[in-house]
Amino acid sequence: MAQIAGISEGRSDYKVRGGKMIRVHVWHRDGKIEKVIFAGDFFMHPEESIEDLENVLVGAELEESEEIINEFFRAVELIGAGPEDFYRALRIAVLGKKS
Amino acid sequence: MRLIRDGYHPAGYNMALDEALLILNKEPVLRTYSWDPSAVSIGYFQSIEQEVDLDAAKSMGVDVVRRITGGGAVFHDREGEVTYSIVLPSNHWAVKGRALQSYRVLCGGIVEALRILGIDAEFAGVNDVLVNGKKISGSAQTRKKWGVLQHGTLLYDLKPDLMFSLLRVPNEKIRDKMIKNIHERVTSLKHLGVEAGRKYVESALIEGFSRVLREKMEPSTPTEEEKDLAERLMREKYGSDSWNFRR
Repeated sequence: MAQIAGISEGRSDYKVRGGKMIRVHVWHRDGKIEKVIFAGDFFMHPEESIEDLENVLVGAELEESEEIINEFFRAVELIGAGPEDFYRALRIAVLGKKS
Repeated sequence: MRLIRDGYHPAGYNMALDEALLILNKEPVLRTYSWDPSAVSIGYFQSIEQEVDLDAAKSMGVDVVRRITGGGAVFHDREGEVTYSIVLPSNHWAVKGRALQSYRVLCGGIVEALRILGIDAEFAGVNDVLVNGKKISGSAQTRKKWGVLQHGTLLYDLKPDLMFSLLRVPNEKIRDKMIKNIHERVTSLKHLGVEAGRKYVESALIEGFSRVLREKMEPSTPTEEEKDLAERLMREKYGSDSWNFRR
């Protein structure tokens, strides 16, 4: 984790059971997400909605993000991973460890 | 069903024509093609720099392109695979319902093609076809309101050294191990003892899809409108850094 002007930066490479990968790059300050990018080899329909997920998480605390992610995937079909994998990958990126 | 046996094309054109076919068609289309030069395609959600050694690709003259479909990075060897794309209207029986189910239906065409070639294969996971537990084909799908595009590959040869010099591995220490072990995870027709040339594999693929989709294939070529749109998409999208490096 790097820290610049109060902003912490974190990454995670999270392997989903079954083999798909979720890679998270997150910037956060005072416990709130400033920016997050999800990458990986999963499938999501419609694909463009990944940016909506990244946008809707801006300003959220890690604890809130679980419900935001779950809510988001009620309307978006995710294949090769579950909403809980996105949350876990994000959590590891923010906290910098598996827990 | 329209059938376009499309031969060899650069990566940008291949992805552009697939998208153009999806945008412009309300009728089913099957296209078969290969990649010249060899190329790496990455999934919609992947980071090009995380997945591909761009210097290696450049020095080997290998194209790199982002797909409109999800899934992983794929090395498309000019001499090693046949690629297919299928466009179906949303109300076609094979793609009704959720994506997961339609992968199984469409990948059935590849299983059938392998049966024609004398190989017993099975659909597995989300989007793969396996022989003896080893991957021989992968596919990816995108869905619009009006239609579905699924494209994928069938391997008739496999060059792990080349593949792993282009695709990034988690760390350098395991590169050799991955090359050595790949034959435990991936196979090809050649490795299964089937010395079928590209044309023969392509024909089997076409027949496989024809049977599974219960569609008669009618030989066709891209229309002027499709070609024009593909040229534009190639120039403005698949040839642009803003698309290929967006993640």
